[in-house]
Amino acid sequence: MEKTWNNKAWFMVLPVLVLVAFSAVIPLMTVVNYSVQDTFGNNEFFWNGVGWFSDVLDSDRFWEALGRNLLFSGIILAIEIPLGILIALNMPKKGFGVPVCLVLMSLPLLIPWNVVGTIWQVFGRVDIGLLGYTLAALGIPYNYVNNVFDAWLTLIVMDVWHWTSLVVLLCYAGLVSIPDAYYQAAKIDGASRWAVFRYIQLPKMKRVLLIAFLLRFMDSFMIYTEPFVITGGGPGNSTTFLSIDLVKMAIGQFDLGPAAAMSLIYFLIILLLSWIFYTVMTNSDAQN
Amino acid sequence: MAAVIQRTNRWPLALAIVLVVYAAIVGLLILALPVKDGVRDWFAPLIPGGWMAWSFPGAMFFLTIFLLLSLMAVWEYASPGGNPRVGILRFETTRGDRLFVSLLGSAFIHLAWLGLVGPNVWWALALSVVYAIGVFKLV
Repeated sequence: MEKTWNNKAWFMVLPVLVLVAFSAVIPLMTVVNYSVQDTFGNNEFFWNGVGWFSDVLDSDRFWEALGRNLLFSGIILAIEIPLGILIALNMPKKGFGVPVCLVLMSLPLLIPWNVVGTIWQVFGRVDIGLLGYTLAALGIPYNYVNNVFDAWLTLIVMDVWHWTSLVVLLCYAGLVSIPDAYYQAAKIDGASRWAVFRYIQLPKMKRVLLIAFLLRFMDSFMIYTEPFVITGGGPGNSTTFLSIDLVKMAIGQFDLGPAAAMSLIYFLIILLLSWIFYTVMTNSDAQN
Repeated sequence: MAAVIQRTNRWPLALAIVLVVYAAIVGLLILALPVKDGVRDWFAPLIPGGWMAWSFPGAMFFLTIFLLLSLMAVWEYASPGGNPRVGILRFETTRGDRLFVSLLGSAFIHLAWLGLVGPNVWWALALSVVYAIGVFKLV
């Protein structure tokens, strides 16, 4: 059948374009303008060329924060994706257990970021927190305030607690959409549990896994609220991610130029990595 | 049922309109720049009061991005379909993909130039143009 061409349909996209322009494009343009100028307040700007970009690229502070971001996202993805798949595979497919599991899985997702941060901040405290106090009582040294490893561990466990359910729900949606005929065919062929997972469930989950992977990567790469509430970027600078550093620079120090340059570099990195992930995954999907 | 629009393909006219509009806006921007002692201040704020911190180079940057997008639209009008093909990256790309790869790559070429060579980014711009031509030919 021939495709219907109607260029008037473009007008349907207009409201979205206007909305995106006001919420994203115009602020982004302002950031670009800030990144090449200097200001001392009072809305007066002085041309600075690419100076701020050079400064950011030459600063250890930026590269260290970027390294922390990449490490954090890598760890988060390495834990949450396999764990999410594992939980989704073991969730009931019918009966009373389905709504119970789904509600339980959705609960962490409903909690706002700053509340999650506060919950874990209190939970981990050695003096009153359930986790911190219990570990201290068992003689296990744990203090996220002054120990780098403990601070990272708290952030990672918190993120896994908060966001693995998203991966689970997406994978579960992929799993329940597989028709029974596939499983029956596998049974007739005498396929092992692993073979069923490898050749039926995993390929069928690929699309939702791509979305889960992208969402979790971007979200963890842009993490701000939780580490800000729990550790405030410390101890030292050990949990100062790019976003925290950015806010310190833009609002704390009011260095709008360097902060704008840094946020643009940050944006480009996210854009590049997301494009690579998306391209690799959609193309491997197309090949299959 | 399918209303297939007859394409008369007047793309040279569309191209001319895009280029004329671009040139007109650039001209207006140049005229809007303040002149001090007979010399145009290319880096002065464009809007009094500093709204959005617009400057001439910033405005030119975005205008050129919009020009590229408009040229892509004209190209699509001239030869619809996006010219999908499998290039050296061994997956299918359309013209839009190639523009995206060119722009993203150019941004990183500029950053790499700044970090490794120095602040004279005109060379990085030249390199980006060569890179973009390469992308449109090979990817």
